[in-house]
Amino acid sequence: MLLETVLVVGLVASAFFAIYLEETVYAVLSLATMLIVLSTFYFSLNAPFAAIFQLAIGTGTVAIFFLAGETLTTKSGTTTSLKKKLLGLVASILLSIPCILGTEQTKTFARSTSFSLSTALWELRAIDAIAQGLVILTIALGIVFLLKEERRRS
Amino acid sequence: MDYIILSVTLLAIGIYGLVTKHDLIKVLISIELITIAASMNFVVFASLMNDSLGQTFMILALSVDSCMTAVALALAVVVYRKLKILDVTELSELKE
Repeated sequence: MLLETVLVVGLVASAFFAIYLEETVYAVLSLATMLIVLSTFYFSLNAPFAAIFQLAIGTGTVAIFFLAGETLTTKSGTTTSLKKKLLGLVASILLSIPCILGTEQTKTFARSTSFSLSTALWELRAIDAIAQGLVILTIALGIVFLLKEERRRS
Repeated sequence: MDYIILSVTLLAIGIYGLVTKHDLIKVLISIELITIAASMNFVVFASLMNDSLGQTFMILALSVDSCMTAVALALAVVVYRKLKILDVTELSELKE
């Protein structure tokens, strides 16, 4: 129960600060914290594959956001004051109270099916997984062409 | 079952960021939060039903989400190189 509470408060607070903070780099760091807490949350829900996948994808996402935040934003001097940060902390704790009260009542469903992840992924959703690979390949090629075309023009 | 409240809270934070922030990177972070709130439901319900199918759906959804983020950031880089603008309202004013 204590672990759940800490995870829920950490999740809501870091998500809130990812939006609330003015400095892009700190916002991205807050997003990284949120993704790590979310991964731990998935571990606590007995979903280790989802947790590892979330952590792996989250690392890539944060790296992209961090690079974009560093290169695209200028240091304009707008910073979040300590008073605003404390206000944000109080607001995020208030936001997480309904979640804490809600998680107390969580119960497992009586119905239970026993698919393993490999069965679910490769026997039930095989076409989806293969199509997903094609989608990712297409998107990667699209990004390469987009940036290449732009570089050629400049 | 009440993890839905957590998911709705994350969704609300994402929508708040989408509505109030004008920085393109912040808008993308908000969209990321919204998709995380949606895909979290798969894992939570799968865990409650002791089923791995939800984890599978989450893995598929998260892949598409990260691809979408990568495309959006590539577009942001192109827009910034061309126009030196990252403000969403200024970008929408360019249409007029």
